Amino acid sequence: MAIKRAQPAQDDQPDRWEAQLRKGALEMAALASLWQGRLYGLEIIRFLESHSQLALAEGTIYPILNRLKAEGLLTSEWVEADAGHPRKYYSLTASGRQRLRQMAEAWTNFSGGLSRLLEPVLDTKENRQ
Amino acid sequence: MTAETQIDNYLTALRLHLSPLTIAEREEIVREINAHIRDSADLPGASVESVLARLGPAEALAAQYRDGLLIRQASRSLSPLVLLRASLRLATKSVFGIFVLFCSVFGYSFGAGFVVVALSKAICPAHTGVWVQDGQVVSAGAFIYGVSPMAHEVLGLWIIPLGLIAGSFTLLMTTFLIRTSLRVSQRLQSRL
Repeated sequence: MAIKRAQPAQDDQPDRWEAQLRKGALEMAALASLWQGRLYGLEIIRFLESHSQLALAEGTIYPILNRLKAEGLLTSEWVEADAGHPRKYYSLTASGRQRLRQMAEAWTNFSGGLSRLLEPVLDTKENRQ
Repeated sequence: MTAETQIDNYLTALRLHLSPLTIAEREEIVREINAHIRDSADLPGASVESVLARLGPAEALAAQYRDGLLIRQASRSLSPLVLLRASLRLATKSVFGIFVLFCSVFGYSFGAGFVVVALSKAICPAHTGVWVQDGQVVSAGAFIYGVSPMAHEVLGLWIIPLGLIAGSFTLLMTTFLIRTSLRVSQRLQSRL
């Protein structure tokens, strides 16, 4: 009985771990989407969907943008659009660009180290297949 | 229910649940979410129902903004009340939060306890101190009733500066711990 009850929890672990991993990267991803220039919320969501595997719950991105703006990493402006309503465009501030550069360096170093660590694991997996 | 009514109902609920924010902040958020709903619903194959479903309940969306604000304010605050309130909110969300709340209550209680003992020595010197009997500490603190007559008090008036220093240090460390924890949690709070 105990084994049967424990099994679903174990199956659930990789999903939860992956969700935590994505969660940690979301702030950096939101900042990175604005590297090339200003975007409004829906464009950021679409950009992240098309350029990464970050499929967002749409209500999630707006509070994050709000927080990043409060921290001075983003700035925003309302722009009139043909759609009939204005859209709120976000841009990186100077400190936002600096923070993103630091994040990108840390991320690259971290993921590079981990990739080397995981090489044997992936080789073994490929050999088995 | 028409699409316009659905949007209006959603935005009214959002506005209601954002009431702790200032009017300017609230209206800015509502305006942005309104634009998102209308832009998303205009996309091919989309409907207002599906857009609202993807946004999630207005209450949950508002809670993310409110939590962000509460934690942001608290991470800059020195007020134990504000910091405890934010710790309490954090405790409802994660095991890390429960740990932070536990440390906060523990830290504030101890810090306040040291200060109270120091002040008590000035008011009731005979009932406050550290009593030793046969080389062992038998009582320490402030007592309404006297301690064993066999024990003798060792710190005297030194307990006042020591209590104030220990109390201030504990309260400062607790404040620092909560504020740091809130900043860390802010990085982790975004959800997919």
